[in-house]
Amino acid sequence: MNTFELKDVAFSYSPDIQIFDGLDLSFDSRTTAIVGQNGAGKTTLVKLMKGLLKPSKGTLLIDGESIAKETAAQLSRRVGLVFQNPNDQIFKTNVLEEVMFGPLNIGMSRSEAEKAAREALQKVDLESKVDDNPYDLSLSERKLIALASILAMDTEMVIFDEPTMGQDFAGKEKIKAIIEELNTEGKLVLCILHDMDFAAEAFERTVVMNQGEIILDGQTRDVFSKKEVLEKAYLEQPYVTQIAHALGYNESFIHESELIAFLNKNA
Amino acid sequence: MNTMTLYVEKDSPVHRLDPLVKLLYVFASIALTYILPEPLFIAGVLFVTLLLLVIGKVFRNSLPILTLSMFLIFSLVIVQGFFHPDNVTELFSIGPLVFYEEGLYVALVLVLRVLVMIGSFSVLILTTSPDEMVERLIKKGMSPRIGHVILSVLQLIPQMRATTSKITDAQRSRGMETEGSMLTRIKAFFPLMGPVVLNSLNETKERSIALEMRGFGSSTKKTFLNEEKQYPYNKLLAGIIIAIVILGIVWRVMV
Ligand SMILES: Nc1ncnc2c1ncn2[C@@H]1O[C@H](COP(=O)(O)OP(=O)(O)OP(=O)(O)O)[C@@H](O)[C@H]1O
Ligand SMILES: [Mg+2]
Repeated sequence: MNTFELKDVAFSYSPDIQIFDGLDLSFDSRTTAIVGQNGAGKTTLVKLMKGLLKPSKGTLLIDGESIAKETAAQLSRRVGLVFQNPNDQIFKTNVLEEVMFGPLNIGMSRSEAEKAAREALQKVDLESKVDDNPYDLSLSERKLIALASILAMDTEMVIFDEPTMGQDFAGKEKIKAIIEELNTEGKLVLCILHDMDFAAEAFERTVVMNQGEIILDGQTRDVFSKKEVLEKAYLEQPYVTQIAHALGYNESFIHESELIAFLNKNA
Repeated sequence: MNTMTLYVEKDSPVHRLDPLVKLLYVFASIALTYILPEPLFIAGVLFVTLLLLVIGKVFRNSLPILTLSMFLIFSLVIVQGFFHPDNVTELFSIGPLVFYEEGLYVALVLVLRVLVMIGSFSVLILTTSPDEMVERLIKKGMSPRIGHVILSVLQLIPQMRATTSKITDAQRSRGMETEGSMLTRIKAFFPLMGPVVLNSLNETKERSIALEMRGFGSSTKKTFLNEEKQYPYNKLLAGIIIAIVILGIVWRVMV
């Protein structure tokens, strides 16, 4: 997969509140973060891309071909979505079964599926929990189980809906490594985030969404330098950017290491 | 979340009645159809009931319920007309099957009674919000636990529906076919049952913990969030209903 495009897409849950009205957006091999306040429509956007919701107008295209005719199940071979709330995704009573569910559905044999599942669990450091019941695990562990169950399907595009929620530093590092790995494997990676620092650190491109509209879209560094526009969408700049600004530097910093290097040089 | 109730929110004199009076009306109207099982009399009760539906602006909403019951009504007429033990006077016949007048008469009483039952229950259900009803009952001394059970049963179906669509989404987003032909949908139904039931049990457990946390189980007297509503003609209406039932009984004994 090279591109995923949305053209002139409209959608609403109820007739009186329009969520999207003529949305144009496309994704390519650049790792992309989507940020925006609660209720901006981020989850709705990715559910549309996953075929779980159908647009009332407009087309969605993978590599230029419309996906309107594909069912969510067919689409799931190509696009994986890690749900925002793992409780909405997990329904089996055994971790291994849960992670194997997707691979088995898209035609892997049992042994292939088990291999894929164990590898995916290893990536999130939960291979020790294979025999547990997901309900007995903590929320952060369940989020990682949900993530592993999508990784195991080896889709061409992976969408994360707020993967860092409730994760500690180690968890975030794990997720960052997974995103980088997916990117080097040539997969499309899209990630909804509320954590601006994480977005600044790990993504090439950032899209800012506000009330169903794209108000900023571009290189992460450029996007996070637009303080006023971000504030309009009730978003903050990453802490590094804020600190550099408070120190009186005009360059925009989005990585901790950049600022440290800069400060060392100028000290 | 919308509940399973059929309650239609409108403003009408029937809506403003005390839920307990409406409950009393349900029992009284059904009792009357047994006390005086005359078609003409039951038709009178039915007329009053339908009138209440009209005044309550919910007559149209009650039509689907009445239509659904047509099946039961139709089979009552057939069975009684052809097979009632008292059948003697022939009305008409289809081949070897004979349809009798006595059976039709019995069926008529039954049909009218069923209609009264459905109608008066509709008056209660369509014009009374379950919350108001349960709160009223609790104020009258019913245990809040039972009130909670009633309200959560009403929540059960919509809750299950929500859980089902949640799990369906989880399944199809991971490659399980749930849309399309009847066969695919039936095939998708069975793997759903386990998770839906388990999920519902889990939710119930969590809700009970949440309730306990907020002191639902404490034995102190509870206060109410909503101010008590005033129901002006309460006593009068209840009195009239009871009087009519007593009159009915007296009539039955005397005549
Ligand atoms: N199933 C639904 N039915 C009706 N309205 C919904 C539904 N799901 C979401 N909405 C509404 O649609 C709007 C967009 O919701 P969405 O979940 O896409 O926001 P979001 O950007 O993901 O927010 P968050 O950051 O809180 O996850 C919100 O106003 C929400 O209330
Ligand atoms: Mg969301």
